[in-house]
Amino acid sequence: MTEGRAVGGGPTVQRMLVGAQLRRLRTDQGLTRDQAAQAIRASEWKIHRLENGQVGFKDRDVIDLLRLYQVTDPTEVAEFLALAREANTPGWWHHYGDVLPAWFRTYVDLEQAASLIRSYEGQYVPGLLQTDAYLRAVVQGAHLAESAEEVGRRVRLRLARQTLLTVEGAPRLWAVVDEAALRRPVGGRLVLRGQLERLVEATKLSNVTLQVLPFAAGAHPAMVGAFSILRFADRELPDVVYLEHLTSAIYLDRRHDVERYLDAMEQLCVQAEPPARTVELLNQMLDEL
Amino acid sequence: MASDWTATVNTDVPNPARIYDYLLDGKDNFPADRDVAEQLLAIAPVARDVVEDNRAFLRRVVRFLTREAGVRQFIDLGSGLPTRGNVHEIAQAEAPDARVVYVDNDAMVVTHSRALLAGDNTAAIHADLREPERVLGHPEVGELIDFDRPVALLLMAILHFIPDDEDPPGIVARFRDALPAGSYLSVSHGTRDIPERWDLSPEAMAEMGTKVEQLYQLTTASLVTRPRAQVERFFDGFDLVEPGVVEIQRWRPDDQASILPGGFYGGVGRRR
Repeated sequence: MTEGRAVGGGPTVQRMLVGAQLRRLRTDQGLTRDQAAQAIRASEWKIHRLENGQVGFKDRDVIDLLRLYQVTDPTEVAEFLALAREANTPGWWHHYGDVLPAWFRTYVDLEQAASLIRSYEGQYVPGLLQTDAYLRAVVQGAHLAESAEEVGRRVRLRLARQTLLTVEGAPRLWAVVDEAALRRPVGGRLVLRGQLERLVEATKLSNVTLQVLPFAAGAHPAMVGAFSILRFADRELPDVVYLEHLTSAIYLDRRHDVERYLDAMEQLCVQAEPPARTVELLNQMLDEL
Repeated sequence: MASDWTATVNTDVPNPARIYDYLLDGKDNFPADRDVAEQLLAIAPVARDVVEDNRAFLRRVVRFLTREAGVRQFIDLGSGLPTRGNVHEIAQAEAPDARVVYVDNDAMVVTHSRALLAGDNTAAIHADLREPERVLGHPEVGELIDFDRPVALLLMAILHFIPDDEDPPGIVARFRDALPAGSYLSVSHGTRDIPERWDLSPEAMAEMGTKVEQLYQLTTASLVTRPRAQVERFFDGFDLVEPGVVEIQRWRPDDQASILPGGFYGGVGRRR
Protein backbone atom coordinates (compact mmCIF):
# COMPACT_ATOMS: atom_id res chain seq x y z
CA MET A 1 0.00 0.00 0.00
CA THR A 2 1.10 3.50 -0.67
CA GLU A 3 -0.45 4.86 2.48
CA GLY A 4 -2.42 8.03 2.14
CA ARG A 5 -2.32 7.64 -1.60
CA ALA A 6 -4.71 4.74 -2.01
CA VAL A 7 -7.53 7.09 -2.95
CA GLY A 8 -7.40 7.61 -6.69
CA GLY A 9 -4.89 4.80 -7.04
CA GLY A 10 -1.66 6.76 -6.72
CA PRO A 11 1.47 5.30 -8.18
CA THR A 12 3.36 2.41 -6.72
CA VAL A 13 7.02 1.89 -7.39
CA GLN A 14 6.28 -0.87 -9.82
CA ARG A 15 3.99 1.33 -11.89
CA MET A 16 6.67 3.97 -11.89
CA LEU A 17 9.18 1.36 -13.00
CA VAL A 18 7.00 0.09 -15.83
CA GLY A 19 6.21 3.67 -16.80
CA ALA A 20 9.88 4.62 -16.70
CA GLN A 21 10.73 1.66 -18.96
CA LEU A 22 8.06 2.74 -21.42
CA ARG A 23 9.59 6.21 -21.42
CA ARG A 24 13.05 4.82 -22.09
CA LEU A 25 11.81 2.58 -24.92
CA ARG A 26 10.07 5.58 -26.48
CA THR A 27 13.02 7.94 -26.25
CA ASP A 28 15.34 5.20 -27.54
CA GLN A 29 13.22 5.25 -30.69
CA GLY A 30 13.46 9.03 -30.83
CA LEU A 31 9.67 9.36 -30.54
CA THR A 32 7.79 12.21 -28.88
CA ARG A 33 4.94 11.63 -26.44
CA ASP A 34 2.60 12.97 -29.07
CA GLN A 35 3.72 10.37 -31.62
CA ALA A 36 3.26 7.62 -29.07
CA ALA A 37 -0.17 8.97 -28.17
CA GLN A 38 -1.29 8.74 -31.79
CA ALA A 39 -0.24 5.09 -31.96
CA ILE A 40 -2.61 4.17 -29.14
CA ARG A 41 -5.27 6.73 -30.09
CA ALA A 42 -4.79 8.57 -26.85
CA SER A 43 -3.76 12.01 -25.65
CA GLU A 44 -0.22 13.15 -24.99
CA TRP A 45 -1.36 13.69 -21.41
CA LYS A 46 -2.25 10.00 -21.10
CA ILE A 47 1.25 8.99 -22.24
CA HIS A 48 2.65 11.41 -19.70
CA ARG A 49 0.57 9.82 -16.95
CA LEU A 50 1.40 6.26 -18.08
CA GLU A 51 5.11 7.03 -18.06
CA ASN A 52 4.85 8.55 -14.59
CA GLY A 53 3.04 5.48 -13.32
CA GLN A 54 0.02 7.60 -12.45
CA VAL A 55 -2.54 5.39 -14.17
CA GLY A 56 -2.99 1.63 -14.56
CA PHE A 57 -1.87 -0.16 -17.70
CA LYS A 58 -4.27 -1.75 -20.19
CA ASP A 59 -2.87 -4.76 -22.07
CA ARG A 60 -4.01 -3.26 -25.37
CA ASP A 61 -2.10 -0.02 -24.78
CA VAL A 62 1.02 -1.80 -23.66
CA ILE A 63 0.99 -4.14 -26.68
CA ASP A 64 0.47 -1.22 -29.09
CA LEU A 65 3.21 0.84 -27.49
CA LEU A 66 5.67 -2.05 -27.45
CA ARG A 67 5.00 -2.65 -31.14
CA LEU A 68 5.61 1.04 -31.83
CA TYR A 69 8.84 0.83 -29.83
CA GLN A 70 9.88 -2.23 -31.86
CA VAL A 71 9.79 -4.66 -28.97
CA THR A 72 8.59 -7.72 -30.87
CA ASP A 73 10.18 -10.73 -29.22
CA PRO A 74 7.13 -12.66 -27.85
CA THR A 75 8.89 -13.61 -24.61
CA GLU A 76 9.93 -10.04 -23.98
CA VAL A 77 6.41 -8.77 -24.69
CA ALA A 78 4.91 -11.42 -22.39
CA GLU A 79 7.31 -10.54 -19.59
CA PHE A 80 6.57 -6.87 -19.95
CA LEU A 81 2.82 -7.51 -19.89
CA ALA A 82 3.15 -9.63 -16.76
CA LEU A 83 5.06 -6.82 -15.09
CA ALA A 84 2.49 -4.25 -16.18
CA ARG A 85 -0.40 -6.39 -14.88
CA GLU A 86 1.33 -6.93 -11.57
CA ALA A 87 1.92 -3.17 -11.36
CA ASN A 88 -1.82 -2.58 -11.54
CA THR A 89 -2.24 -4.29 -8.21
CA PRO A 90 -1.50 -1.95 -5.34
CA GLY A 91 0.07 -3.04 -2.08
CA TRP A 92 3.56 -3.86 -3.03
CA TRP A 93 7.09 -3.70 -1.96
CA HIS A 94 9.35 -5.58 -4.16
CA HIS A 95 12.27 -7.62 -4.60
CA TYR A 96 13.54 -8.05 -8.07
CA GLY A 97 14.88 -11.58 -8.49
CA ASP A 98 18.49 -12.41 -8.94
CA VAL A 99 18.95 -11.40 -12.56
CA LEU A 100 21.35 -8.57 -12.15
CA PRO A 101 21.01 -6.77 -15.46
CA ALA A 102 17.22 -6.65 -15.15
CA TRP A 103 17.03 -5.00 -11.76
CA PHE A 104 19.97 -2.83 -12.45
CA ARG A 105 18.29 -1.59 -15.60
CA THR A 106 15.12 -0.73 -13.72
CA TYR A 107 17.08 1.25 -11.17
CA VAL A 108 18.77 3.18 -13.94
CA ASP A 109 15.37 3.97 -15.44
CA LEU A 110 14.06 5.26 -12.13
CA GLU A 111 17.25 7.20 -11.52
CA GLN A 112 16.82 8.97 -14.85
CA ALA A 113 13.30 10.00 -13.91
CA ALA A 114 14.39 11.39 -10.55
CA SER A 115 14.95 15.05 -9.80
CA LEU A 116 16.95 14.41 -6.64
CA ILE A 117 18.98 11.36 -5.67
CA ARG A 118 20.05 11.21 -2.05
CA SER A 119 22.33 8.38 -1.07
CA TYR A 120 24.41 7.09 1.77
CA GLU A 121 27.40 4.88 0.96
CA GLY A 122 29.43 3.19 3.67
CA GLN A 123 31.73 0.88 1.73
CA TYR A 124 32.63 2.52 -1.54
CA VAL A 125 32.33 5.72 -3.51
CA PRO A 126 28.83 6.25 -5.02
CA GLY A 127 28.50 4.55 -8.39
CA LEU A 128 27.67 7.76 -10.22
CA LEU A 129 31.01 9.25 -9.16
CA GLN A 130 33.33 6.27 -9.61
CA THR A 131 36.30 6.41 -11.98
CA ASP A 132 36.75 3.76 -14.62
CA ALA A 133 39.63 2.12 -12.73
CA TYR A 134 37.85 2.24 -9.37
CA LEU A 135 34.69 0.81 -10.87
CA ARG A 136 36.68 -1.98 -12.51
CA ALA A 137 38.25 -2.83 -9.16
CA VAL A 138 34.82 -2.89 -7.49
CA VAL A 139 33.38 -5.17 -10.18
CA GLN A 140 36.41 -7.47 -10.07
CA GLY A 141 36.24 -7.58 -6.31
CA ALA A 142 32.63 -8.65 -6.44
CA HIS A 143 32.90 -11.21 -9.24
CA LEU A 144 36.22 -12.91 -8.85
CA ALA A 145 35.44 -15.82 -11.17
CA GLU A 146 34.20 -13.80 -14.10
CA SER A 147 35.80 -13.49 -17.48
CA ALA A 148 37.54 -10.29 -18.41
CA GLU A 149 34.88 -9.82 -21.05
CA GLU A 150 32.05 -10.01 -18.52
CA VAL A 151 33.85 -7.58 -16.21
CA GLY A 152 34.28 -5.23 -19.14
CA ARG A 153 30.59 -5.46 -19.99
CA ARG A 154 29.53 -4.61 -16.46
CA VAL A 155 31.99 -1.73 -16.27
CA ARG A 156 30.67 -0.29 -19.54
CA LEU A 157 27.08 -0.64 -18.37
CA ARG A 158 27.77 1.22 -15.17
CA LEU A 159 29.92 3.88 -16.76
CA ALA A 160 27.18 4.60 -19.28
CA ARG A 161 24.93 5.38 -16.33
CA GLN A 162 27.21 8.23 -15.24
CA THR A 163 26.25 10.44 -18.17
CA LEU A 164 23.08 10.97 -16.14
CA LEU A 165 24.70 13.74 -14.13
CA THR A 166 25.80 15.81 -17.09
CA VAL A 167 22.85 15.63 -19.48
CA GLU A 168 20.37 18.48 -19.76
CA GLY A 169 17.78 18.35 -17.00
CA ALA A 170 20.13 16.15 -14.96
CA PRO A 171 19.01 15.21 -11.46
CA ARG A 172 20.81 16.49 -8.41
CA LEU A 173 22.96 14.01 -6.52
CA TRP A 174 23.29 14.62 -2.77
CA ALA A 175 25.49 11.92 -1.35
CA VAL A 176 26.79 11.21 2.13
CA VAL A 177 29.90 9.03 1.99
CA ASP A 178 31.43 7.39 5.00
CA GLU A 179 35.08 8.14 5.69
CA ALA A 180 35.68 4.36 5.52
CA ALA A 181 34.70 4.35 1.86
CA LEU A 182 37.25 7.08 1.15
CA ARG A 183 40.09 5.42 3.06
CA ARG A 184 39.71 1.88 1.68
CA PRO A 185 42.28 1.51 -1.13
CA VAL A 186 39.94 -0.12 -3.66
CA GLY A 187 42.16 -1.01 -6.60
CA GLY A 188 45.23 0.15 -4.70
CA ARG A 189 46.68 3.49 -3.71
CA LEU A 190 46.95 4.95 -7.21
CA VAL A 191 43.39 4.05 -8.13
CA LEU A 192 42.15 5.54 -4.88
CA ARG A 193 44.11 8.71 -5.56
CA GLY A 194 42.51 9.03 -8.96
CA GLN A 195 39.14 8.42 -7.38
CA LEU A 196 39.58 11.07 -4.69
CA GLU A 197 40.72 13.56 -7.34
CA ARG A 198 37.60 12.71 -9.31
CA LEU A 199 35.44 13.41 -6.25
CA VAL A 200 37.02 16.83 -5.79
CA GLU A 201 36.22 17.55 -9.45
CA ALA A 202 32.66 16.28 -9.03
CA THR A 203 31.99 18.69 -6.19
CA LYS A 204 32.46 21.51 -8.68
CA LEU A 205 29.37 20.39 -10.60
CA SER A 206 26.43 22.54 -9.61
CA ASN A 207 24.17 19.50 -9.28
CA VAL A 208 26.46 17.41 -7.06
CA THR A 209 26.63 17.75 -3.28
CA LEU A 210 29.00 15.59 -1.32
CA GLN A 211 29.26 15.26 2.44
CA VAL A 212 31.81 13.08 4.20
CA LEU A 213 30.61 11.32 7.32
CA PRO A 214 33.80 11.26 9.43
CA PHE A 215 34.79 8.44 11.80
CA ALA A 216 34.60 11.08 14.52
CA ALA A 217 30.83 11.28 14.07
CA GLY A 218 30.66 7.93 15.88
CA ALA A 219 27.46 5.93 15.78
CA HIS A 220 24.96 6.97 13.12
CA PRO A 221 21.54 5.88 11.87
CA ALA A 222 22.76 4.08 8.74
CA MET A 223 25.25 1.66 10.26
CA VAL A 224 23.20 -1.20 8.78
CA GLY A 225 24.24 -0.14 5.33
CA ALA A 226 23.90 1.86 2.16
CA PHE A 227 20.63 3.18 0.78
CA SER A 228 19.34 5.69 -1.73
CA ILE A 229 16.19 7.78 -1.84
CA LEU A 230 14.88 8.89 -5.20
CA ARG A 231 12.68 11.96 -5.37
CA PHE A 232 10.61 12.89 -8.40
CA ALA A 233 9.61 16.38 -9.44
CA ASP A 234 5.95 15.49 -9.84
CA ARG A 235 4.09 16.30 -6.67
CA GLU A 236 2.06 13.08 -6.81
CA LEU A 237 4.98 10.71 -7.11
CA PRO A 238 6.19 9.30 -3.81
CA ASP A 239 9.83 9.09 -2.81
CA VAL A 240 11.31 5.65 -3.42
CA VAL A 241 13.96 3.96 -1.28
CA TYR A 242 16.41 1.69 -3.05
CA LEU A 243 18.44 -0.98 -1.31
CA GLU A 244 20.95 -3.03 -3.25
CA HIS A 245 21.93 -6.50 -2.15
CA LEU A 246 24.24 -9.12 -3.57
CA THR A 247 21.57 -10.90 -5.59
CA SER A 248 18.66 -8.51 -5.58
CA ALA A 249 17.44 -5.00 -5.05
CA ILE A 250 14.54 -3.80 -2.97
CA TYR A 251 12.36 -0.80 -3.62
CA LEU A 252 10.27 0.70 -0.85
CA ASP A 253 7.49 3.16 -1.48
CA ARG A 254 5.25 2.78 1.55
CA ARG A 255 5.25 6.16 3.18
CA HIS A 256 5.97 4.72 6.60
CA ASP A 257 9.05 2.83 5.37
CA VAL A 258 10.28 5.71 3.24
CA GLU A 259 10.02 8.13 6.14
CA ARG A 260 12.22 5.97 8.34
CA TYR A 261 14.90 6.27 5.69
CA LEU A 262 14.27 9.99 5.16
CA ASP A 263 14.62 10.50 8.88
CA ALA A 264 17.91 8.59 8.87
CA MET A 265 19.11 10.59 5.88
CA GLU A 266 18.32 13.91 7.54
CA GLN A 267 20.24 12.83 10.62
CA LEU A 268 23.21 11.67 8.51
CA CYS A 269 23.34 14.96 6.64
CA VAL A 270 23.38 16.91 9.90
CA GLN A 271 26.12 14.69 11.35
CA ALA A 272 28.23 14.70 8.20
CA GLU A 273 30.71 17.43 7.34
CA PRO A 274 29.22 20.29 5.27
CA PRO A 275 30.03 20.30 1.53
CA ALA A 276 32.75 22.98 1.74
CA ARG A 277 34.54 21.21 4.59
CA THR A 278 34.23 17.93 2.69
CA VAL A 279 36.37 19.31 -0.15
CA GLU A 280 39.04 20.32 2.38
CA LEU A 281 38.98 16.81 3.85
CA LEU A 282 39.27 15.19 0.43
CA ASN A 283 42.33 17.31 -0.32
CA GLN A 284 43.77 16.41 3.06
CA MET A 285 43.25 12.69 2.34
CA LEU A 286 44.99 13.16 -1.00
CA ASP A 287 47.97 14.76 0.75
CA GLU A 288 48.17 11.86 3.18
CA LEU A 289 47.90 9.18 0.51
CA MET B 1 31.89 25.59 9.53
CA ALA B 2 32.45 22.13 10.96
CA SER B 3 29.50 19.85 11.38
CA ASP B 4 27.91 19.45 14.74
CA TRP B 5 28.13 15.74 15.47
CA THR B 6 25.75 16.06 18.37
CA ALA B 7 23.12 18.05 16.47
CA THR B 8 19.98 16.09 15.85
CA VAL B 9 16.96 16.23 13.64
CA ASN B 10 13.85 15.40 15.61
CA THR B 11 11.15 14.46 13.15
CA ASP B 12 8.71 13.53 15.93
CA VAL B 13 8.23 17.14 17.03
CA PRO B 14 6.30 19.39 14.64
CA ASN B 15 8.60 21.96 13.09
CA PRO B 16 7.44 25.27 11.57
CA ALA B 17 9.83 25.03 8.62
CA ARG B 18 8.53 21.59 7.70
CA ILE B 19 4.89 22.62 8.30
CA TYR B 20 5.49 25.49 5.88
CA ASP B 21 7.07 23.01 3.44
CA TYR B 22 3.94 20.86 3.64
CA LEU B 23 1.69 23.87 3.01
CA LEU B 24 3.77 24.61 -0.10
CA ASP B 25 3.36 20.99 -1.32
CA GLY B 26 6.95 20.12 -0.48
CA LYS B 27 8.09 16.59 0.36
CA ASP B 28 10.44 17.37 3.24
CA ASN B 29 7.92 16.91 6.02
CA PHE B 30 7.01 14.16 8.45
CA PRO B 31 3.78 12.86 10.03
CA ALA B 32 4.03 15.17 13.07
CA ASP B 33 4.40 18.19 10.79
CA ARG B 34 1.53 17.15 8.54
CA ASP B 35 -0.68 16.55 11.53
CA VAL B 36 -0.24 20.13 12.76
CA ALA B 37 -0.51 21.50 9.22
CA GLU B 38 -3.82 19.71 8.72
CA GLN B 39 -5.09 21.05 12.04
CA LEU B 40 -4.00 24.51 10.93
CA LEU B 41 -5.92 24.13 7.68
CA ALA B 42 -8.98 23.03 9.64
CA ILE B 43 -8.79 26.17 11.79
CA ALA B 44 -7.75 28.54 9.01
CA PRO B 45 -8.49 27.11 5.57
CA VAL B 46 -6.78 30.14 3.98
CA ALA B 47 -3.42 29.15 5.48
CA ARG B 48 -2.28 27.46 2.28
CA ASP B 49 -3.13 30.54 0.22
CA VAL B 50 -1.43 32.80 2.72
CA VAL B 51 1.89 30.92 2.56
CA GLU B 52 1.70 30.91 -1.25
CA ASP B 53 1.00 34.65 -1.08
CA ASN B 54 3.98 35.06 1.21
CA ARG B 55 6.24 33.39 -1.37
CA ALA B 56 4.77 35.70 -4.02
CA PHE B 57 5.39 38.70 -1.75
CA LEU B 58 9.01 37.60 -1.29
CA ARG B 59 9.40 37.34 -5.06
CA ARG B 60 8.02 40.83 -5.64
CA VAL B 61 10.13 42.31 -2.84
CA VAL B 62 13.39 40.77 -4.10
CA ARG B 63 12.62 41.92 -7.65
CA PHE B 64 11.88 45.43 -6.40
CA LEU B 65 15.08 45.49 -4.38
CA THR B 66 17.30 44.29 -7.24
CA ARG B 67 15.58 46.15 -10.10
CA GLU B 68 14.48 49.42 -8.58
CA ALA B 69 16.57 49.80 -5.43
CA GLY B 70 19.74 48.39 -6.98
CA VAL B 71 20.51 46.15 -3.99
CA ARG B 72 23.05 43.42 -4.63
CA GLN B 73 23.43 41.92 -1.13
CA PHE B 74 20.78 39.99 0.75
CA ILE B 75 20.60 38.37 4.16
CA ASP B 76 17.59 36.07 4.46
CA LEU B 77 16.97 35.52 8.17
CA GLY B 78 14.96 32.41 9.05
CA SER B 79 15.15 31.30 5.45
CA GLY B 80 13.42 27.93 5.92
CA LEU B 81 13.63 24.85 3.71
CA PRO B 82 14.62 25.46 0.09
CA THR B 83 11.63 25.58 -2.23
CA ARG B 84 10.83 26.94 -5.67
CA GLY B 85 11.89 30.55 -6.15
CA ASN B 86 14.57 30.98 -3.52
CA VAL B 87 15.99 34.45 -2.91
CA HIS B 88 19.25 33.97 -4.86
CA GLU B 89 17.38 32.54 -7.83
CA ILE B 90 15.08 35.56 -7.98
CA ALA B 91 17.86 38.08 -7.33
CA GLN B 92 20.43 36.53 -9.65
CA ALA B 93 17.89 36.33 -12.47
CA GLU B 94 17.81 40.15 -12.26
CA ALA B 95 21.43 40.71 -11.29
CA PRO B 96 23.80 37.74 -11.73
CA ASP B 97 26.28 39.31 -9.28
CA ALA B 98 23.75 39.40 -6.42
CA ARG B 99 25.01 37.76 -3.23
CA VAL B 100 22.78 35.99 -0.73
CA VAL B 101 23.33 34.57 2.74
CA TYR B 102 20.67 32.26 4.11
CA VAL B 103 20.47 32.10 7.90
CA ASP B 104 18.49 29.58 9.93
CA ASN B 105 18.74 28.08 13.40
CA ASP B 106 17.36 24.69 12.36
CA ALA B 107 19.99 22.04 11.61
CA MET B 108 17.94 20.27 8.94
CA VAL B 109 17.11 23.55 7.21
CA VAL B 110 20.78 24.52 7.15
CA THR B 111 21.98 21.18 5.71
CA HIS B 112 19.34 21.43 2.98
CA SER B 113 20.26 25.03 2.26
CA ARG B 114 23.96 24.22 2.08
CA ALA B 115 23.32 21.26 -0.20
CA LEU B 116 20.75 22.78 -2.47
CA LEU B 117 21.27 26.56 -2.44
CA ALA B 118 24.92 27.29 -1.76
CA GLY B 119 27.03 28.31 -4.73
CA ASP B 120 29.57 30.90 -5.80
CA ASN B 121 27.58 33.87 -4.57
CA THR B 122 25.42 32.21 -1.93
CA ALA B 123 26.04 30.74 1.49
CA ALA B 124 23.94 29.16 4.19
CA ILE B 125 24.86 29.52 7.84
CA HIS B 126 23.64 27.96 11.06
CA ALA B 127 22.84 30.85 13.39
CA ASP B 128 19.99 32.30 15.37
CA LEU B 129 18.58 35.67 14.38
CA ARG B 130 18.03 36.43 18.07
CA GLU B 131 21.82 36.84 18.22
CA PRO B 132 22.40 39.59 15.61
CA GLU B 133 26.08 40.06 16.50
CA ARG B 134 26.81 36.37 15.90
CA VAL B 135 25.01 36.44 12.58
CA LEU B 136 26.75 39.63 11.47
CA GLY B 137 30.13 38.46 12.72
CA HIS B 138 29.91 35.04 11.07
CA PRO B 139 32.95 34.46 8.81
CA GLU B 140 30.84 33.40 5.84
CA VAL B 141 28.74 36.55 6.17
CA GLY B 142 31.95 38.58 6.21
CA GLU B 143 33.15 36.82 3.04
CA LEU B 144 30.03 37.61 1.03
CA ILE B 145 28.61 40.81 2.46
CA ASP B 146 30.28 44.21 2.26
CA PHE B 147 28.78 46.30 5.07
CA ASP B 148 29.96 49.52 3.45
CA ARG B 149 27.39 48.98 0.71
CA PRO B 150 23.59 48.63 0.97
CA VAL B 151 22.31 45.32 2.28
CA ALA B 152 18.75 44.01 2.19
CA LEU B 153 17.62 42.23 5.32
CA LEU B 154 14.72 39.85 4.75
CA LEU B 155 12.60 38.72 7.69
CA MET B 156 9.86 36.76 5.99
CA ALA B 157 7.28 35.04 8.15
CA ILE B 158 9.81 34.70 10.95
CA LEU B 159 9.36 37.52 13.50
CA HIS B 160 6.00 36.06 14.54
CA PHE B 161 8.04 33.23 16.06
CA ILE B 162 9.77 35.68 18.42
CA PRO B 163 7.68 36.40 21.54
CA ASP B 164 7.48 39.92 22.99
CA ASP B 165 9.71 39.06 25.96
CA GLU B 166 12.58 38.50 23.53
CA ASP B 167 12.11 42.04 22.22
CA PRO B 168 11.82 41.48 18.45
CA PRO B 169 11.93 45.25 17.63
CA GLY B 170 15.17 45.43 19.62
CA ILE B 171 16.62 42.52 17.62
CA VAL B 172 15.74 44.21 14.33
CA ALA B 173 17.27 47.47 15.61
CA ARG B 174 20.57 45.71 16.35
CA PHE B 175 20.70 44.49 12.76
CA ARG B 176 19.69 47.95 11.50
CA ASP B 177 22.54 49.60 13.35
CA ALA B 178 25.05 47.43 11.48
CA LEU B 179 23.68 48.43 8.08
CA PRO B 180 24.76 51.51 6.08
CA ALA B 181 22.22 54.14 5.03
CA GLY B 182 20.43 53.10 1.87
CA SER B 183 20.06 49.51 3.10
CA TYR B 184 16.65 47.89 3.13
CA LEU B 185 14.49 45.86 5.48
CA SER B 186 11.57 43.71 4.45
CA VAL B 187 9.25 42.00 6.92
CA SER B 188 6.20 39.81 6.56
CA HIS B 189 4.27 38.87 9.67
CA GLY B 190 1.14 36.98 10.72
CA THR B 191 -1.74 39.05 12.01
CA ARG B 192 -5.27 38.63 13.27
CA ASP B 193 -6.34 42.04 11.96
CA ILE B 194 -9.32 41.48 9.71
CA PRO B 195 -9.00 42.63 6.14
CA GLU B 196 -12.07 44.34 4.67
CA ARG B 197 -12.83 41.55 2.30
CA TRP B 198 -12.87 38.76 4.88
CA ASP B 199 -16.40 38.18 6.01
CA LEU B 200 -15.51 37.53 9.64
CA SER B 201 -16.66 38.98 12.95
CA PRO B 202 -13.93 40.30 15.27
CA GLU B 203 -14.81 37.48 17.67
CA ALA B 204 -14.42 34.80 14.99
CA MET B 205 -11.11 36.28 13.86
CA ALA B 206 -9.85 36.51 17.43
CA GLU B 207 -10.84 32.90 18.03
CA MET B 208 -9.06 31.78 14.87
CA GLY B 209 -5.94 33.69 15.91
CA THR B 210 -5.99 32.20 19.38
CA LYS B 211 -6.43 28.68 18.04
CA VAL B 212 -3.55 29.08 15.60
CA GLU B 213 -1.32 30.41 18.39
CA GLN B 214 -2.32 27.49 20.63
CA LEU B 215 -1.62 25.01 17.83
CA TYR B 216 1.91 26.34 17.38
CA GLN B 217 2.56 25.72 21.07
CA LEU B 218 2.92 22.08 19.94
CA THR B 219 5.79 22.95 17.64
CA THR B 220 9.42 23.88 18.20
CA ALA B 221 8.54 27.59 17.97
CA SER B 222 5.44 29.27 19.32
CA LEU B 223 3.71 31.83 17.18
CA VAL B 224 2.42 35.30 18.02
CA THR B 225 0.26 37.32 15.67
CA ARG B 226 0.62 41.12 15.82
CA PRO B 227 -1.45 44.11 14.76
CA ARG B 228 -0.31 46.53 12.07
CA ALA B 229 1.11 49.14 14.46
CA GLN B 230 3.45 46.55 15.99
CA VAL B 231 4.62 45.38 12.57
CA GLU B 232 5.29 49.01 11.63
CA ARG B 233 7.50 49.34 14.72
CA PHE B 234 10.03 46.97 13.15
CA PHE B 235 10.68 49.72 10.62
CA ASP B 236 11.90 52.28 13.18
CA GLY B 237 14.81 54.07 11.53
CA PHE B 238 13.60 53.11 8.06
CA ASP B 239 11.48 55.09 5.60
CA LEU B 240 8.70 52.82 4.38
CA VAL B 241 8.46 52.62 0.62
CA GLU B 242 4.99 52.83 -0.92
CA PRO B 243 2.48 51.46 -0.04
CA GLY B 244 3.84 51.03 3.52
CA VAL B 245 2.90 48.11 5.75
CA VAL B 246 -0.12 46.50 4.13
CA GLU B 247 -1.60 43.04 3.61
CA ILE B 248 1.12 41.26 1.64
CA GLN B 249 -1.23 40.67 -1.28
CA ARG B 250 -1.60 44.45 -1.68
CA TRP B 251 2.09 45.23 -1.67
CA ARG B 252 2.87 46.23 -5.28
CA PRO B 253 0.79 43.41 -6.75
CA ASP B 254 1.66 41.97 -10.14
CA ASP B 255 -0.51 39.84 -12.38
CA GLN B 256 -0.06 36.79 -10.22
CA ALA B 257 -1.03 38.43 -6.93
CA SER B 258 -3.83 36.81 -4.97
CA ILE B 259 -7.14 38.64 -4.91
CA LEU B 260 -7.93 37.70 -1.33
CA PRO B 261 -5.83 39.83 1.00
CA GLY B 262 -5.17 39.04 4.63
CA GLY B 263 -3.32 36.84 7.07
CA PHE B 264 0.08 38.53 6.82
CA TYR B 265 1.29 42.11 6.85
CA GLY B 266 4.33 43.05 4.88
CA GLY B 267 6.40 46.03 3.92
CA VAL B 268 9.75 47.33 2.77
CA GLY B 269 11.73 50.16 4.37
CA ARG B 270 14.86 52.07 3.41
CA ARG B 271 17.45 52.77 6.11
CA ARG B 272 17.87 56.47 6.81
